[in-house]
Amino acid sequence: MSDWVAIFIAALMVISAIFAVEWRDLLAAVVGMAAVSLFASIAFFFLQAPDVAMVEAAIGAALSAAVFIFAIKRTERYESEEEGTGWWVRW
Amino acid sequence: MIEVYLILIALAVVLSMYRFFRGPTTADRIVAVDIMTTLTTGLMVLFALYYRRAIFLDVALVYAVLAFLGVITFARYMEGGL
Repeated sequence: MSDWVAIFIAALMVISAIFAVEWRDLLAAVVGMAAVSLFASIAFFFLQAPDVAMVEAAIGAALSAAVFIFAIKRTERYESEEEGTGWWVRW
Repeated sequence: MIEVYLILIALAVVLSMYRFFRGPTTADRIVAVDIMTTLTTGLMVLFALYYRRAIFLDVALVYAVLAFLGVITFARYMEGGL
């Protein structure tokens, strides 16, 4: 059972990481990062390191997401270049 | 008996991952992550019962507080405040 739970958590974390990189909306990317941190915390917890899991939850779920949200608020939310807007956009 | 509950919670996490991937708006993804954190807190309590160690309950307590803080931050940004 232990191997299958570890494989399950790792698969969810890998899929979340791929989507966090792929999304163009930066707020959705921060949500994906929060999901990766969530599954990392579960992985640490499952590997019987509860102190590391607690610190990972504190850093990843609250602090890191809040800092990224502040950065998105000060800059812009979407990645700028869009596909197929016109020939004069891309040189 | 605890394994059955663990499998059911893992199935619920997978079903909320579907909304996390296919959600048309960002708010759907935020709600999906919120559901996953709540399910995960229950999963941690079940793991504490499975391994019979009371120290694992503290992690679930800290995680329940901090997941609320993260979702509040996302919601404040979507509202336009912050």
